[in-house]
Amino acid sequence: MQDQLESLILEAEQEIKKCSAPNDILNVKAKFLGKKSVLNGLYGRMRELSKEERPAFGELLNGARVKIESFLESRSEAIKQESWKKDSSGFDNSLPGVSLSRGGLHPLSIIRRQIDEVFMSMGFEIAEAGEIEDEFHNFDALNTPKDHPSRNLADTFYLEGGKLLRTQTSTVQIRVMENYKPPIRIISPGRCYRNDKPDPSHSPVFTQVEALVVDKGISMIDLKDTLQSFARIMFGSNVKSRIRPHFFPFTEPSAEMDISCVACGGQGCRVCKQSGWLEMGGAGMVDPAVFDTLGIDSEIYTGFAFGLGVERIAMLKYNIPDMRILFENDLRMLRQFRGEM
Amino acid sequence: MKIALSWLKQYLDIDCGVEELSRLLTFAGIEVEGIEEIPALGKTAVVGHIVSAERVPKTDHLWLCMVDIGDVPYAEKDENNQVQVICGAPNCRAGMNAMLALPGTNLKDFQIKKAKIRGIESHGMLCSEKEVGISDNHSGIIQVCPFIDVGTQADELFSLPDTTFELEITPDRSDLLGYLGIARDLSAKLLLKSKEPVIPALSKPEGSLKIELTNLEPELCPRYTLRVIEGVKIFPSPHWLQTALLKSGLRPINSVVDITNYVMLETGHPLHAFDYDKLVAKEDGQSHPDIIVRRAEPKEEFLALDGKKYILDGDELLIADGKSASALAGVMGGLHTSITFDTVNIALESAVFEPGSVRKTSYKHKLSTDSSYRFERHLSGEYAASISDRAASLILEIAGGKLCGEILDSHPIKESALVLGVRPARFELLIGYKMDESRIRDILERLEFNYVGKGMFEHGNRHGLEIQPTQNEREMALYFQIPGFRKDVTREVDILEELSRLDGYDKVPEPEISEQIMDRHAYKINNAASDWMVAHGAFETLNYSFVDPSRMKDLGFEEEPEFIRLINPQSANQSVMRVSLIPQLLSNLAYNLNHSERDIRLFELGRIYLQEGDTHREPKRLAAVFTGKDGESHFAKKAETIDYFWVKGCFEGYLAQLRLDYSASEAKLPYLTQGESFVYHMDGVELGYFGRILPPVLEAWDIDAQMLKQEVWVLELNMDNIAKISRNRNRIYEEIPRYPSVQRDLSILVPLEVSYAKIKDSILNTDRALVQSVSPFDEYRSDQIPQGFRSLSLHIVLQDQEKTLTDERIDMLMVSVQKTLKEELNVSMR
Repeated sequence: MQDQLESLILEAEQEIKKCSAPNDILNVKAKFLGKKSVLNGLYGRMRELSKEERPAFGELLNGARVKIESFLESRSEAIKQESWKKDSSGFDNSLPGVSLSRGGLHPLSIIRRQIDEVFMSMGFEIAEAGEIEDEFHNFDALNTPKDHPSRNLADTFYLEGGKLLRTQTSTVQIRVMENYKPPIRIISPGRCYRNDKPDPSHSPVFTQVEALVVDKGISMIDLKDTLQSFARIMFGSNVKSRIRPHFFPFTEPSAEMDISCVACGGQGCRVCKQSGWLEMGGAGMVDPAVFDTLGIDSEIYTGFAFGLGVERIAMLKYNIPDMRILFENDLRMLRQFRGEM
Repeated sequence: MKIALSWLKQYLDIDCGVEELSRLLTFAGIEVEGIEEIPALGKTAVVGHIVSAERVPKTDHLWLCMVDIGDVPYAEKDENNQVQVICGAPNCRAGMNAMLALPGTNLKDFQIKKAKIRGIESHGMLCSEKEVGISDNHSGIIQVCPFIDVGTQADELFSLPDTTFELEITPDRSDLLGYLGIARDLSAKLLLKSKEPVIPALSKPEGSLKIELTNLEPELCPRYTLRVIEGVKIFPSPHWLQTALLKSGLRPINSVVDITNYVMLETGHPLHAFDYDKLVAKEDGQSHPDIIVRRAEPKEEFLALDGKKYILDGDELLIADGKSASALAGVMGGLHTSITFDTVNIALESAVFEPGSVRKTSYKHKLSTDSSYRFERHLSGEYAASISDRAASLILEIAGGKLCGEILDSHPIKESALVLGVRPARFELLIGYKMDESRIRDILERLEFNYVGKGMFEHGNRHGLEIQPTQNEREMALYFQIPGFRKDVTREVDILEELSRLDGYDKVPEPEISEQIMDRHAYKINNAASDWMVAHGAFETLNYSFVDPSRMKDLGFEEEPEFIRLINPQSANQSVMRVSLIPQLLSNLAYNLNHSERDIRLFELGRIYLQEGDTHREPKRLAAVFTGKDGESHFAKKAETIDYFWVKGCFEGYLAQLRLDYSASEAKLPYLTQGESFVYHMDGVELGYFGRILPPVLEAWDIDAQMLKQEVWVLELNMDNIAKISRNRNRIYEEIPRYPSVQRDLSILVPLEVSYAKIKDSILNTDRALVQSVSPFDEYRSDQIPQGFRSLSLHIVLQDQEKTLTDERIDMLMVSVQKTLKEELNVSMR
């Protein structure tokens, strides 16, 4: 009897070892412990035994049952443990991953968005106006003398019908001041056109960002403050800015804005032509004549304006040597700016 | 804190309406959290005398009362001026005076009518405090004092009508924790004179009782005053006093306790009265008891007024007699020494305690009382004696008795007077407008800030009163002595706040609001459209705005469009403003193909320039060109070829995420193939199109379509129209379905001429409420399929918003889907 049980246990152990899935365990369990199992049948023979023999026999059967159960349990646990393990032998984990194929923005758009963000965080709004303009908005309202050379065909693109392509985004200043009352705090990014042959530093189509603030009590402090904040956010906290006298017909006083050279930190290098400074654009306090043309009381309101060249900022920031590269749309250039924010 | 208008009016002649008063309080910084009107009850709510009260037969709670109403006119009273009233109150009994609302009386919530209760007529109702409106108590009827005349109207007895305000007092303003403080603030707000209560001079002390005061904790108890009054009568307080407490949310207890509470509500300063005869001496045989201000012993026990025993840990400040604790200082009195109806002699405490200590004790023993609430907020000790005088005079007036000796006053820590300067120039700088000196003085003096003089501003507290003169406007300051009850005012800026708050924040000039210039929606739409293209693998290009006019013919347009022409172009191929972004994108494509690129996705977002009669427009467009694979090749995962479904997904996906309900139709553009090119509209406005470029068009750009062996796809989005049509489309959260959805699959044989769109519509239309979505997962054409048919396999998702779907319901729906498909579209199951 004992031998029979032992061989039964052995048989069960062998089969349980071979189990490799939760289902196998269920099947083996049914076979050895189920209703139709040999073991279960032996329980039935209990009746044939005398009272004295029964306890010992029962103990024997229970012992066998417990043993088989423990085999099943440990195997089932082992299967669970193995189920999430993976055979990694021969797996070459140095092979490349599959990457989502994203495109990218043009570097000029990236710079434009950076500028937008800087100024929007300072409370500026973004205003737009048409690129096709009339002489009034492009020149007259900006206080440009009738015989000023910038009005020449050699400088300005004219269109059939008398209009022209704006030569600077300052036109938006006029459009905004015509339609809105102060306080005004805007920037206006957009395309401008000048009749320049494309070369490393010129393009007949280029992008400017104009800033205009009109309110009570605006002084050159505000201009310096805005310019300095802009330079620091765009080029890093070590960058310095300055303004120096210049002439524009629509600002008085007028200035040119410089930032300390981003390539050499102001020591002097090839990029800044050893000066330590880089020209960023024109600026100044809005000329009272401009306000008067637009019916804004220049005794109550003052304002400042400045214009930045987006191509120039992009070229400085990304060390792009030739402006024409920006309009070639070569994927080998565009791909370099994937992921740039 | 709850205050009643009738009480507040004792200190201030307010003649504005309740709404206006509420507004004034709120804009003085005392936020009104609730207003409750207590209506007048009129001539029919009167004091009646209950002549008899008998049980209504077969009830155990109803009383049949005969109530004497004296001269009060009432048609149905009997010859003895009595009316019959049924009353259910447990405290109803013969011989008491009660408040009777006769039929016709309008109580707050209902009107009293003559009624029959258990078949017995009842002429009105005997009222509880709740029914009269002065508290929430409904446990019994009001016991009217027996000395009040029968027929006295409720309105007179309870000062009705009245209004109560629930106020939120900010934690810095301990001075507002009493009526006088509120009145003071309002007087400064309204520039009205406030009336302090007149305290009659106290009579000479004639009593003989003595007490000894010892203050062992000067840090925790900066001032403690105590006086003894002998021979007081403890009884229920007069109705005006009870009513005043009730309307302010306190329960009346007895005359002396009510007076201490009344003075607390009036001044914000809690008081406590001990039963003098329960206090014991330190030394046996001593002729008079002791009051000792000391800390508790560790594990010392204290039986409080609330009947609970507290085990102290030794940190608590106690008011003790010679042997044991009589009060947790500033928090709660002891049960043993409390004032009862048997009390004859009292010891009256008016003191201040260190706020931190009170807070700690209150927190530790979870005991928050009207008293601890006030002491925690830092009260001044300066007024303890005069407040004691106020209470004593009320006690003598109401409860009688004699003062015993002068007030005992332990005042170990005196507060030094604070003098602060405030600069009118500084007010203008910080608040934004000018306030002249007379206005500044007017407001502050009503707050009891005493004007000292003016001169050169000095930072910080001035201890001397010497002020240096100055001619400098900016430095000129007005100096004020800050009253002790304003613990929150310690700097110039605190005074500036007072001035601005009481002059009204509405006096701050409204700023010039700049107009909205920017179209933020269009700005975001444009950036997001670029981002969508970038996410679909496209690189952005930027091209000149002027182009070669012949390129439009290359696209297949027979007529040249009306171009805007340059007078002085740099070259012939840059002589007109562009009317489409497509030609330059094809040039960009050709350029990059020539530089060995195969898989190319490019887009541009820019303006086109359209001549329209005499005028012109510069709308923004986004155009894209796609060809090749949609990703880099990888040995394990193949990239997809960009085809009809890819471009359609990119295009429709963009519109779908904007939640636009577009409709599509065949795009009829000369450079696109037929059957694969669609234009999208919404509300009659064109949103854009996508399609495949005809190979001959590619040839015009020197792209050898045969060599390329790739389809070239384009799409264009009309950004201005999309910005316009997607404006103000606010998303509204939809409840997430609470019941599970079920998916059923269907494999069908579809005649070749029947489109998926038709099948989808047909299935959705079977039951719009139930069918959530239909999506194809397989399309199959082969010889096994009958000629003229294809096989389609669909996922159908079903969901009921109201309940879990049963199998029967699903099966019924699927049967009707199959039936409809067969009947309408000749579609059968596979």
